[in-house]
Amino acid sequence: MLVFVALFVVLGLGLNVVVGFAGLLDLGYVAFFAAGAYTMGLLTSPGSPIDAGLNFWLILPMGILIASAVGLLLGLPVLPLRGDYLAIVTTGFGEIIRLFLINRDDLTRGSQGLSAIPRPDLFGYRIDSFTEWFYFVVAAAVIVGFCTSRLRDSRIGRAWEAIREDEDVAAAMGVNTTKYKLLAFASGAAIGGLGGVIYAAFIGFISPAAFSLQVSIDVLAIVIIGGMGSTPGVILGSLILIGVPRILQFRETSDFLANLGWLRDGLNGLIGAVDALTPGSIGRLPPAETWGAQLADDTRFIIFGALLVIVMVVRPSGLWPSSRRRLEFAHDDAPAPAPVTAP
Amino acid sequence: MTAAELIVDGLGMQFEGLTALADVTLRVPPGEIHGLIGPNGAGKTTFFNCLTGFYRPTSGAVYLSGQRIDGLPPHVITGLGIARTFQNIRLFANMTVLENVLVGQHQHIPVGGTDILSTRRPVYPTAVERLLILRGFPRAAVNGVIEIAGAIARPPRVRAAEAAAVSRARDLLAAVGLRGRENDLARNLPYGDQRRLEIARALATRPSLLLLDEPTAGMNPRKPPPWSASSAASATNSIPPSSSSNTRCASSWASAKTSPSSITAAKSPRAPVAIQRNPTVIEAYLGTRAIQGGGHAAP
Repeated sequence: MLVFVALFVVLGLGLNVVVGFAGLLDLGYVAFFAAGAYTMGLLTSPGSPIDAGLNFWLILPMGILIASAVGLLLGLPVLPLRGDYLAIVTTGFGEIIRLFLINRDDLTRGSQGLSAIPRPDLFGYRIDSFTEWFYFVVAAAVIVGFCTSRLRDSRIGRAWEAIREDEDVAAAMGVNTTKYKLLAFASGAAIGGLGGVIYAAFIGFISPAAFSLQVSIDVLAIVIIGGMGSTPGVILGSLILIGVPRILQFRETSDFLANLGWLRDGLNGLIGAVDALTPGSIGRLPPAETWGAQLADDTRFIIFGALLVIVMVVRPSGLWPSSRRRLEFAHDDAPAPAPVTAP
Repeated sequence: MTAAELIVDGLGMQFEGLTALADVTLRVPPGEIHGLIGPNGAGKTTFFNCLTGFYRPTSGAVYLSGQRIDGLPPHVITGLGIARTFQNIRLFANMTVLENVLVGQHQHIPVGGTDILSTRRPVYPTAVERLLILRGFPRAAVNGVIEIAGAIARPPRVRAAEAAAVSRARDLLAAVGLRGRENDLARNLPYGDQRRLEIARALATRPSLLLLDEPTAGMNPRKPPPWSASSAASATNSIPPSSSSNTRCASSWASAKTSPSSITAAKSPRAPVAIQRNPTVIEAYLGTRAIQGGGHAAP
């Protein structure tokens, strides 16, 4: 479970470059994730027609490269688009990639997917258990986080931010907006590809169903809930958006809730008291044993959705906004000290 | 950068059937300050947009220091030495004051090859070339990868370039009177300071020609203009500005709006009063009867 949290941190950091830094609303992010995963799958799965049995560490840079190329492929046609239009086109792009994976079944084995993708070795030691995977993916997330924060505090980062603020003026200041937008797409895609390669190696089985629009939306939600442009925000966002639903799914959670019989009795007592005043107005709570199951099914998403709405209303700049965003949402009369750009 | 000569030859700009500029011809010799005046809608900003690559003129040509620049993309023209400010201030509102100036220095921070495309490229590239897929793409890709690697690894070369840029940005800000506000968000500055910042940002591109689009708009005419641009320019050993303004502060020559063409311009006498009495100017602002009536000077 935590492996997924870490994996989505990686993806969130990648999308953060595109959406948070450069301000390009990309809803097709899953395409890059899929590109990385399928690079790994196609080159290592015994079921793949082009299985080359390559090493994970060889495929990692290949996956990153291929994903960047896919990023450029998306970037070129959408260059003149802004805002809502960009979101629509990128959504379509994500779907195209998924449909491509389903329909080119001579290559990708379509909906059957690719299975038995081998796990990587690290210095002759096979990364196998969940704990090992967790540390492995966290290490990847740390490296990616370091890279993106370095990028933010550089000439590229400033150029991206300038494009986000006002693309025309950025061009008038000498920024080649075409080039920097493409760089944003490519870097974001590269990180998505990295996530994809890791995902395929971890799960061992990939099929187009895993690369639905929902993934793009989840990653975007992580970035927005956490705070656009903020690295710690992405981590927090991933913990909440990916972690919490899975915690609610846990058997342990169900068991825990099942042990709340005393709470139910207490609440039912309270309800009984109210009931005595206005007979028949409210029913009793169901047995606590069923709470967990209910949470896992239907109620879970309602609770989850409500949480998201509350977060966005209470903290519109995200849970852990970047220092700059915090300034933006602050009112003009309280100019907080801004971070000094590193000389 | 040394001052450059601007020559505009028969420039025209048409939007679908609307003629915004027709046959604009003028010459701005190096080192001179020129003004461009005209009533609202005369096409002053359109003219600036044509000079800076925001618009692609539909006819005529623009030369900077002898090189033809019309039709080039904005960032290339900026690299060749034209900087501009905007009529309605357009700062990077959510970036700090210092960062705004750093973005202006973009092409002068040597961390990944320059973005100035080859000057040998044709002025009007074909549709295929405009797609940028063929022309300059591999080099831009290589430069991009170098720049990304440099930004992540931050070798001494990159650190030094960044430090130099920051120090120059501070100098520029001090020159326009914004010392100490480096870390404020641009949008939190008062109006006059925003104008100053826009000028500092434009100067950061190291222009040989500075175009100020209504630099005194919204300012109090009794106070000294916020944009002692020439003083800022001399402080940073740049250039003579060229400006466009509706206010009387600008020295200048005139434009006439007689349908359908809008601006014609020529060379400049300096004194504002002479301009105010110029029949062409009076006709442009007040119509022909004002001239026949005589005497009405200032618009």
